[in-house]
Amino acid sequence: MLPAEDIQSALNKVPWFNTLTPEHFNKTVELTHIRHAKAGEIFFREGDKQDYVYIVLEGRVSLEIFVPHHGKVRFCTAEPYDVFGWSSVTPGMHQRTAGAMAVLDSTVACLDAEGLRQFAEKDHDFGYLLMRRLANVVASRLMVTRLQLIDMFAGPTETKND
Amino acid sequence: MTTMLLNTAAHSAGYTNKLLLPHWAEVVRIIPEAEGVTTFQFKFIDPEVQSRYRFEPGQFNMLYMPGYGEAAISMSSDFDTDHGLLTHTIRHIGNVTKATSRLKVGDMVGMRGPFGTSWPLEAIEGMDVVIACGGIGLPPLRGAIHRIIRNRGKYGKVILLYGARTPKDLMYPSEYDAWQKADIEMQVTVDRGDDDWTGRVGVVPMWFYHFRVDPHKTAVLTCGPEIMMRFVIYEALARRVPSEHIYISLERNMKCGQGACGHCQQGPFFICKDGPVFPFRAFEHIFNVEEY
Amino acid sequence: MIDKTLTIGSTIALPKPELDLLLADLRGNGFQTVGPHLQDESIIYTNIDGLKDLPRGMLSEQAPASYRMIQTGKERYFDFIPGGQSWKQFLFPPRYSLFNAVKDGTWQLQENNEPAPHYALIGVRACELAAIHIQDKIFLREDFSDPICRARRESLFILAVNCLDPDATCFCVSMGCGPRHRAAFDLCLTELDDVFLVEVGSELGRSLLFNRTFDLPSAFVQNSANLAMERAAGAMMRTMDTSDLPGLLTGNLDAERWTEVGKRCLSCANCTLVCPTCFCWDATDQVDILGKSTRRDRVWDSCFNPNYSSVVGGNTRPNIRSRYRQWLTHKLGAWKDQFGVLGCVGCGRCITWCPAGIDLTEEVNAIRAEVKT
Repeated sequence: MLPAEDIQSALNKVPWFNTLTPEHFNKTVELTHIRHAKAGEIFFREGDKQDYVYIVLEGRVSLEIFVPHHGKVRFCTAEPYDVFGWSSVTPGMHQRTAGAMAVLDSTVACLDAEGLRQFAEKDHDFGYLLMRRLANVVASRLMVTRLQLIDMFAGPTETKND
Repeated sequence: MTTMLLNTAAHSAGYTNKLLLPHWAEVVRIIPEAEGVTTFQFKFIDPEVQSRYRFEPGQFNMLYMPGYGEAAISMSSDFDTDHGLLTHTIRHIGNVTKATSRLKVGDMVGMRGPFGTSWPLEAIEGMDVVIACGGIGLPPLRGAIHRIIRNRGKYGKVILLYGARTPKDLMYPSEYDAWQKADIEMQVTVDRGDDDWTGRVGVVPMWFYHFRVDPHKTAVLTCGPEIMMRFVIYEALARRVPSEHIYISLERNMKCGQGACGHCQQGPFFICKDGPVFPFRAFEHIFNVEEY
Repeated sequence: MIDKTLTIGSTIALPKPELDLLLADLRGNGFQTVGPHLQDESIIYTNIDGLKDLPRGMLSEQAPASYRMIQTGKERYFDFIPGGQSWKQFLFPPRYSLFNAVKDGTWQLQENNEPAPHYALIGVRACELAAIHIQDKIFLREDFSDPICRARRESLFILAVNCLDPDATCFCVSMGCGPRHRAAFDLCLTELDDVFLVEVGSELGRSLLFNRTFDLPSAFVQNSANLAMERAAGAMMRTMDTSDLPGLLTGNLDAERWTEVGKRCLSCANCTLVCPTCFCWDATDQVDILGKSTRRDRVWDSCFNPNYSSVVGGNTRPNIRSRYRQWLTHKLGAWKDQFGVLGCVGCGRCITWCPAGIDLTEEVNAIRAEVKT
């Protein structure tokens, strides 16, 4: 475990954390550890009941789903300051719906989701900021996902012809 | 009407006053690109025509396959890079372009052009440039990239956002290194990655969330599926880039290339002659009208 | 009696049989005389020799989706209002062979070097002449000139006719295009019962009268003609308010009316075929079975054709609503931005020859009413 000052300086680089009060920030630091992953290391697999939410600080992490006959489909990557594994913060998440693997050597901040949820329950001000940030993450993911769904680069044989 | 037309009069050497009469050109080189996509290099048979022919990035030729018809194909290079050869990256997807997939070196095709407006590379000197394109939208911008690289000092930050469906569909991967070395920041992304892909997976418009844009001195050049351009434009406008600094390249059914046959019209514009490159400002009021 | 003091602007009274001699003179000078002819219960434009080929004693009766001919029993040749054909077929042929490409080892081009015919258009109405001038702006431009049109246009002889009996679908007055001729013609007829009043419009027209027998019309006769023309102008049964065009249409692309008319329109393209200003065309390859020889033709096209706006992966105007909207917002809208004038001359053909009876004057009014509420 890195000393708290190192975690602090790492998290300070992430824009959202600058909006927190010192009290909220310190509590979040307590819930965080930094992980250095080599390319190919797995953070979690589909079906895991793991309970962290991650913020990429350096490198790149890919989200993937295994599709029979297609192999592993990488449908999303998380770049520096992107969040992944956000579903663990929302109530009702029971298991991971996708896998996450580092595709480049990466440094990732891992936040204890159970701890975040409990803190949010107790301190609704923090809870609101957390959920607001989460809503933005989900909104931008949804935009990207919709455009991927529309499959805008598909050729005419694959799209409906009038 | 658009005010950013570059001077094309000096470049018209590849068409005659006879309606639709092509010049013949021969295939000089064939470079397979992604699946279903091939780059051809052509040279006019008549050396006089070849020596006069000039074009600007963003313009297009009408390529004639006898027996099949004509297709509008963008220039995929800069005049100086390919020493005057006509470089066309073609996706084999329609009647005419599928016929081109059977071309061999030495075969003849008809060629008329160049037509249309070009990327306003002089007008945007001194600015940061965001080039946002996807799929087959990169070829019409490749000539602009070459020209910018050759005049790199005249531009500020240059960032290329390029997306394709899968890693196999990426165009010109062998050039990315050279482009990066020429101080073009590259963000390549695919809609879905495979086992070997360690690059980004996502869509081009989302990249606006990852860097800051100075709205006072940023120009955006975008080309690709219209829906991709639409979202790129949303993001650029959301960051207060003025619509007169956003340039789009449109594609429509073109038959004559000269603003005569009517097919490519949208609103008051003939896409072949008033475009295909437009400042978004000129198109704003009709771009999002469905089925117009 | 020959009066050689004829000038441009003079009006003479020509006995009707003299017209035959005048047309023969034109043919003697290399012109192909084309004019109105009754066929299949309607009026077409085709080769004519003289009075015997004109629709003598015929009046037309038009309404949306209806064109009828009525016998008047009079010895008059130009009472009818023209039918579905317009003069654009002569300047802008419906099918024209551009070149052959033949593969004999390498591809060779064989251009179509057929000389252009010299047409003498006999019986051009004011709206039709206005349409020719509108098409000049399209086909003979600084940045693009259609050589096929230019060759025919440069040698064109125009014998104009003033309309005295507008039909129910005419609205040329609203469009500022008639019914009286003012623009460039070689000769202009106003038909009276016994004679043609002929106004000289050009040197060529003047020279054609040198060998003809004619009188100078009396003031009374000239007056009657003027009165008849004024009556015609006041007898329009349709109007179109153009004061708020093009903005009314180009600014209301989401009007409900487009959906409504889209349900009635059959996208049959009749309106674009009969319209004297519509100019869209396509190019086709007629290729032999071995793929070694092909003929490239230019053919009329229509924005109503389903594939007109097809692009890779789809169609930018995939339904009738979008295509009708394109047609009308172009003709009464974008046309003005492109060519400086609206694209409609008020001839009414599109109303008469629409099998669904769609009336563009009614559509414009409906959109105006919808926008006001």
